[in-house]
Amino acid sequence: MPEPALQLEHLSRRFGAVLAVSDASATFHYGKMHALVGENGAGKSTLLKLAGGAEKADQGRVLIEGVPLAPPTPAEAIRRGVGFVYQHFMLVDAFSTLENLCLGHEPVGRFGALDENQARRQAQAVMSKLDLDLDLEARVAELGVGQRQHIEIIRILIRGAKVILLDEPTAVLTPGQATHLYATLRRMADAGSCIVVVTHRLQEVRAHCDHVTVLRRGKVVLDTATSASTVADWTRAIMGQEPPPPVQRPARPEPVQGGLQLKSLRVESTDKGHLAVQDVSFTVPRGTIVGIAGVEGNGQRELVRAIAGLQPCNEGSVWLDGADISKMSVAARRAAGLAVVHDDRHREGLMLDVSVSDNLVLGDLGTGSDEVKTVARRLGAYGIVPADPSIRARNLSGGNQQKVVMARALDRSVAVAVLAQPTRGVDLGAARGIHEAIFQTARQGAAVLVISADLAELRAICHEIIVIARGKVVTTLPPDTAEEVFGQAMLGEAAP
Amino acid sequence: MSQLLTLTFVAETIRLSIPFACAALAGVWSERSGVVHIALEGVLLSSAFGAVVATLASGSPAVGVLGGVLVGTLLSLLHGLLSARFRVDAIVSGIALNLLAASGTRFLLRAWFDSASNSPPIAGFHWGPTGSSGAAMLARTLLDPVTLLAVLAVAVTPWVLFRTRFGLRVRAAGENPVAAASVGIPVVRVRLIALCVSGAVGALGGIHLAFDQHRFESGMSGGRGFIALAAVILAGWRPVRAALACLVFAALEATQILLQGQRKLPPEILQMLPYLATLVVLALAAGKARAPAGLGQHATEER
Repeated sequence: MPEPALQLEHLSRRFGAVLAVSDASATFHYGKMHALVGENGAGKSTLLKLAGGAEKADQGRVLIEGVPLAPPTPAEAIRRGVGFVYQHFMLVDAFSTLENLCLGHEPVGRFGALDENQARRQAQAVMSKLDLDLDLEARVAELGVGQRQHIEIIRILIRGAKVILLDEPTAVLTPGQATHLYATLRRMADAGSCIVVVTHRLQEVRAHCDHVTVLRRGKVVLDTATSASTVADWTRAIMGQEPPPPVQRPARPEPVQGGLQLKSLRVESTDKGHLAVQDVSFTVPRGTIVGIAGVEGNGQRELVRAIAGLQPCNEGSVWLDGADISKMSVAARRAAGLAVVHDDRHREGLMLDVSVSDNLVLGDLGTGSDEVKTVARRLGAYGIVPADPSIRARNLSGGNQQKVVMARALDRSVAVAVLAQPTRGVDLGAARGIHEAIFQTARQGAAVLVISADLAELRAICHEIIVIARGKVVTTLPPDTAEEVFGQAMLGEAAP
Repeated sequence: MSQLLTLTFVAETIRLSIPFACAALAGVWSERSGVVHIALEGVLLSSAFGAVVATLASGSPAVGVLGGVLVGTLLSLLHGLLSARFRVDAIVSGIALNLLAASGTRFLLRAWFDSASNSPPIAGFHWGPTGSSGAAMLARTLLDPVTLLAVLAVAVTPWVLFRTRFGLRVRAAGENPVAAASVGIPVVRVRLIALCVSGAVGALGGIHLAFDQHRFESGMSGGRGFIALAAVILAGWRPVRAALACLVFAALEATQILLQGQRKLPPEILQMLPYLATLVVLALAAGKARAPAGLGQHATEER
């Protein structure tokens, strides 16, 4: 057995009251693709950060080629050949690709001047080895996520990384881009690198990885070659129990009147002053669940904000049950039966340092309903744990926080529900509960629009799926369409 | 209006532009590294005082320049330490340092020179031809060592900021400190160095003010630090453009002085011109220029 590239020995890391990683050990080898899987909050990202020096362990140690990582800092890890690709890219948007590639290890000539030719040669050398081609002069702000990710990978390779750690690298990619990424990673592994990927997509692990390590509540519960186990084994290890039966979506209702209708909607982007939503028209009839699929940042956020009334429509209109609500205030839209859940529950869904009970009735104050009864009903109906209305929302788990947001939006008379990323960062059990609440809402006759980055989720719960790219509707597909077709459409190419 | 095109007017414009331009350049250095710098006013004032004190103590204007640069650098470094290292809000720190500069110089005026308003006179540099012709004035203005240093700073800043490793790291710290830290750049240290450069460059403006008036006067910076900050925003944080914007402000000020001599409008109205121009310019530029994206952000969540 050759010497391992990276060994994690009895690592523990505590954040406040939470033991994120608990006595975890794992070994990673050169030439192999390793996967690190687990539910949200199982500690997989934290473990990866410990390995890359981005977090300091309370106990245990990290060995690189048998020698401890000391001091445990990103700079030292890079020096020792361990490169980290963060989930949220660490790139300077205003810089060119070349500037980003050399940042932190810039080749210099006389008087500290940047040696751009040298930097360009280094980049070209790595790109030709990986069969990648990037425009080195392009501004990063103008690049797509796939290209940005390549910049990150090329950057750590230029710095000589032989152990490459990637945190959820495919979360923002289309299926096609993800396959391309894994092909690149495989080429790196074949050239002798050690690759460790954190992911929650088990099919990717099955298709591309050699070894899988499952974490549950901070502990390593399964550590095996992918060829020696099945996806079902991993799921059981991830959940600690048998997986729940797949959810059953309600039958699609007969065509009905009413619901949500968008007519030639154009909305300006929140930051850059261009049109983020361009001429979007579609209808969600009552009782129907329609999904919006697309790579993040293709107008989803602006679409939701425009429907909610948080952002004006530049052109076009939003209709609810046959009435134009485009000019109405947020409160008037809510009163008309519009329910919206925004994608970032920490920033837009909750007041984190306020009690669960206040969060549950936010927006219902002054409506004459009995606040205590409403809180009790919502806590019970959505199974929020702990069922203590007095604790601060910050102290709930992600799944329970999301349930609070969902309960507040849906537990009232709803005509149209617009739900952005309803199960993001939520464990499987909570996701199931949320899906059931969505079905219940549809069964009660509401039109439901679900915007999600998780294509598998949309295919499981929606009656039909609209694919958008660069702010435009590309196509509308039935949920049982092949994944590759969705992937093509998400790039803006409709199937013939 | 023919007076506007004389050599005298050009000389006046250049002379008046130096404090603005130096402060603006100081603002570019600081804000490009991600530190909001409203203490420019204090840098101008304290370095003017430092230059006068050092000149009086040594009898040499060259030592005076060094004294001014030292004081300006220290004040700017203090702003950097407070806001980048100890995470005091940069606006609060800037206001505090402006107050410190205003009251500190007044206190020391009293303590050392027994005056509420000004220091004893100093000679300053005497370079270039004498005489009161426009050409002589222009030659004197252009050959002034502090002006030459300021011009040098304007010329060198773009190269350092956009062509060197140090400049790249300064801009990375200002655009995305988290990303900069993740590739091993010591963000706080880079910012402190940028603030020192900022203070040294800004000090040239204060020194010029003092040498130009041949003494220190209480409150002699007169809001120039704030106008310079407006020039920085107008110029989109680009150094040469900021300096050019300052030339325009200086031309307005020169016009104002010229018009005062003609006594057609009340001087109070005329003196408002540069400040009104600042307001108009800011209103027009607002929302158009793109500030460094990491301005006021820190590299890590906790200390």
